[in-house]
Amino acid sequence: MEKITITIDGKTVEAIKDQPVLMAAKENGIDIPALCHHPELENSGGSCRVCLVEAIQGGRSRIVTSCNYPVRKGLEIRTDTEQVRNIRKGVIELLLCRVPDSEVIQNLAAKYGIKEPRFFTDEGESDRNKCIACSLCTQVCEDVVGVSAISMQNRGRDKAPGTPYHKDSSVCIGCGACAYACPTNAISMKDEKGVRKIWGKKFKMVACSVCGKPYIPEAQVNWIVRTTGKERSFFDKCPDHR
Amino acid sequence: MAGQVRKKVDTKQIDKIIKSYDKSEESLLAILQDFQRSFQYVPEEGMKRLSKYMGVPESKIYAMGTFYKALSLTPRGRHTCKVCMGTACHLKGAGQILETIERELKVKRNSTTEDQRFTVESVNCVGACAMAPVVVVDEDYSGHVRQSKVMDILDKYK
Ligand code: SF4
Ligand code: FES
Ligand code: FES
Repeated sequence: MEKITITIDGKTVEAIKDQPVLMAAKENGIDIPALCHHPELENSGGSCRVCLVEAIQGGRSRIVTSCNYPVRKGLEIRTDTEQVRNIRKGVIELLLCRVPDSEVIQNLAAKYGIKEPRFFTDEGESDRNKCIACSLCTQVCEDVVGVSAISMQNRGRDKAPGTPYHKDSSVCIGCGACAYACPTNAISMKDEKGVRKIWGKKFKMVACSVCGKPYIPEAQVNWIVRTTGKERSFFDKCPDHR
Repeated sequence: MAGQVRKKVDTKQIDKIIKSYDKSEESLLAILQDFQRSFQYVPEEGMKRLSKYMGVPESKIYAMGTFYKALSLTPRGRHTCKVCMGTACHLKGAGQILETIERELKVKRNSTTEDQRFTVESVNCVGACAMAPVVVVDEDYSGHVRQSKVMDILDKYK
């Protein structure tokens, strides 16, 4: 890990060579909005484009997505100029047209002073509801969970995640990692009376032997036991009572 | 899709196609194209068997099946009738031509007739604007198509 210094918004800061600008900024207390990037997922980012910043290197200025732009020697970053704010505002406005029902995007839009988007909005298309098609959920399911129950289907405007044929997945373990990863809360997951419902499928939950709270789907326990060799009894108690 | 006859797919044929390729992820698209050619669509059973054989998650194969325009998840007609709705054709009355076809064949655009004879699609500029309006059946281009004559063109395809 090679440490180098770069400038962000006029401040000289230390950063690790090749780390994403977004992370370097975060570590130095500079906040850049970002939706589709997850530090644990190598292929994430580059899709929502709200993390745009100005990067100046070798005398040339460019607008780049900070979540996948590598830190290099002599780099100067500007995150909050009028130009950057304007471009970012445009991106957010388009996202608002696409998913007008998303509270996350609504809040972001309000922060940037957008009241009504100027363009045609996709209202009432409940299928896609709050999804901005960033594919974080499918990446988590594949790379972290290792199950690949869902994938990005169709393309262009119709691109959206789902299980094959929108049927109950034969491999989904109901872990909910996809729902936690979703930046716009577009994936519906409900735990009710010891049953979790996600992607249209129902999963029986295992209850904690101490507090009695159902906390993990049986299918997820089976999966962990099978793939990691962990003792099944480990899951008798929820994390709070272990 | 409503009204469509779903023939039972021939699993032997599916397996024969799969086995004729190398067991490698690179063969996936070619196999899906072969399904399309043999069955006029990519059957669910085909994706399932392919997933098992290759050890590739079904979700990934399904993603491919929905991504490429050359692949269809519902049975397509024996012939494809594309009505160009590009700017030039649109101005030359492609809208009425498409409506005539829809009415005469009792089919909505971008779907297949009940007898599986035609899949009717509206497409954007097919690159023959000089002969607008253009109708393409399978590989055959017809230019300067008149509303009153369009059904004569389609009649040649059984
Ligand atoms: S809940 Fe199912 S689809 Fe979502 S990450 Fe877990 S296994 Fe994948
Ligand atoms: S967070 Fe960088 S493009 Fe989405
Ligand atoms: S618009 Fe129809 S061929 Fe160009």
